[in-house]
Amino acid sequence: MHFQLTEEQQLVKANVREFCQKYVEPIANEVDQQPRYPAETVKRLAEQDWLGIPYPQEYGGAGADYLTYILTIEELSRACAATGFIVEVHTSLASFPLYKFGTEEQKKKYLVPLCKGEMLGSFALTEPGAGTDVAAGLTTAVLDGNEYVLNGTKMFISNSPVAGVFIVFASTDKSKGPKGLSAFIVPDGTPGLKVGGHQNKMGIRGALTAEVVLKDCRIPKENLLSQEGQGFKIAMMTLDGGRIGIAAQALGIAQAALDESIRYSKERVQFGKPIAALQPIQWMIADMATDVEASRFLTYYAAWCYDQGRSYAKEAAMAKLKASETAAHHTNRAVQIHGGIGYIKDQKVERLFRDAKITEIYEGTSEVMRMVIAGSMLR
Amino acid sequence: MLKVIACFKWVMDEADIKVDTGSRRLILDRVGYKISLYDRNAIEEAARLQEQHGAGVVAMTVAPPTAKQCLKDALSRGPDKACFVNDPSLVDLEPAQTTAILAAAIEALGDFDLIICGEGSSDLYTQQVGPALAEKLEIPCATYVNKLTYMEGEKRIIAERKLDDCMEVVSMPLPALVTVLPDINTPRIPTLKQVLAASRKPIDNITLDALGVACEGCMQTTGILAATMERRRLRFGAGEEDIRAIIGALLKEGVIA
Repeated sequence: MHFQLTEEQQLVKANVREFCQKYVEPIANEVDQQPRYPAETVKRLAEQDWLGIPYPQEYGGAGADYLTYILTIEELSRACAATGFIVEVHTSLASFPLYKFGTEEQKKKYLVPLCKGEMLGSFALTEPGAGTDVAAGLTTAVLDGNEYVLNGTKMFISNSPVAGVFIVFASTDKSKGPKGLSAFIVPDGTPGLKVGGHQNKMGIRGALTAEVVLKDCRIPKENLLSQEGQGFKIAMMTLDGGRIGIAAQALGIAQAALDESIRYSKERVQFGKPIAALQPIQWMIADMATDVEASRFLTYYAAWCYDQGRSYAKEAAMAKLKASETAAHHTNRAVQIHGGIGYIKDQKVERLFRDAKITEIYEGTSEVMRMVIAGSMLR
Repeated sequence: MLKVIACFKWVMDEADIKVDTGSRRLILDRVGYKISLYDRNAIEEAARLQEQHGAGVVAMTVAPPTAKQCLKDALSRGPDKACFVNDPSLVDLEPAQTTAILAAAIEALGDFDLIICGEGSSDLYTQQVGPALAEKLEIPCATYVNKLTYMEGEKRIIAERKLDDCMEVVSMPLPALVTVLPDINTPRIPTLKQVLAASRKPIDNITLDALGVACEGCMQTTGILAATMERRRLRFGAGEEDIRAIIGALLKEGVIA
């Protein structure tokens, strides 16, 4: 057993870090406050080959391992959680189903431009009445000659205002429940596909989220991903991998909270000495560092399982549960260490505090993570 | 084809150096390493010549075997090949020793047109290795270069030197050596594919035996303490009469005379 990243992984981590210091961190506050989509950063991410990290070069990816991708999300999120999330949705949720379930033609047409960063991807699963209860979705797909006709409303769809292609889930047979769910590739600009207004979120505000309405949206029959009825399986497998990505995002946020807390507690003087010399602050930092490290090992381990071709659903759930709750808890502590100034906008911890919360919710809530873990343990 | 050698040094990352507040001793046990900052500019300049003029680029370093990780880092920045002169004894070298080993390695490599070094290393910053290496190889040298132009077909380069009070432009026949300043270029952040491709590039592992040189570290650091800043805790108002007090205090402290 060894706990060392490969030379390449270490280099990539250092490179992403340098990139963030140069391009991501300086605009992170503005991206959050306005809020605005960091288009210039995404263009640069494509130039760095960071929009298709774990997919083979023949499909436009970089052909690196999953852990390299995870390290990239961690470092991006450490500087700006919204930027990390844009890449995560694009890579884990939009590109993965194409890579795993797409035909050679579908891959050439959609996965290649996604991996090259020529367009962004989005994943349209959630609906107003179907969050955790995925099978309660009302969106339907009806085969009409050589076309599927999609109707329904998708909610909280990340990257949708800037996406070039959507993976849309719709029922092809309502009577079958989850087994009637199917996945479709819907390119942006398809008549009947309408992306609604930007949803004003608490955190990760630079990552755009909107409603997606499908009204008699016709797509060619060959845009069905895999087969009819495979949608639920595709969604669950996609989310299993995505959870490692969200764990990495949460880990980056938690690490940033730790960085900020250490820096501030050494600077801030009260009672004639830096507050870092006070035991209550020291204990908060110690707990924070320990939880961050535990989250890191769980997250890297889940990614390693993925790379080894082992089962990773339980590991991904554990990593996401631990890292997201670490991020939520310790960004709160980080604001506490900062005191009044931590409650003021422009302070990074204020943003981290808001950014952290969503990691306990999306791509499976903490409650779902516990269900997955318990299910696996009690089988 | 223009043949370029970019020399670089693997140094401690100063961001990782911690200071023991009581004793001011440096805590180095968790320190990471990186390519010395100006040497990144040297490698980038070589990569630019490679892209613009099809130059062949060799990255060369003198280090202990533990510095192996520097090779992929350097190679991901453009060079076609790395020369790794390594031996456990190659620590704490003083500039003349580094120069002698580099010169022997470059002579063993054979043909070259241009050597690019950083102006000085991030750790010792003696600024000696570049000029001394040129002297040893008996080739012309330009230091403080912040713009470099290769005159294709003329076998020479034009280098702009940034001096204290002027810019000097020199034309030099090749082979030659230049040491570069940070404003000569912006070193790239290697793309992921460049990082992955680095492991497929050739590395020449060169031993001191092969070069026929021996080396014994002769530089010893007997002590190193972090600098501290002691504040005088003097306060001045913003009024006109305060200016006199400020000047008085600065005179007393010897800041101005």
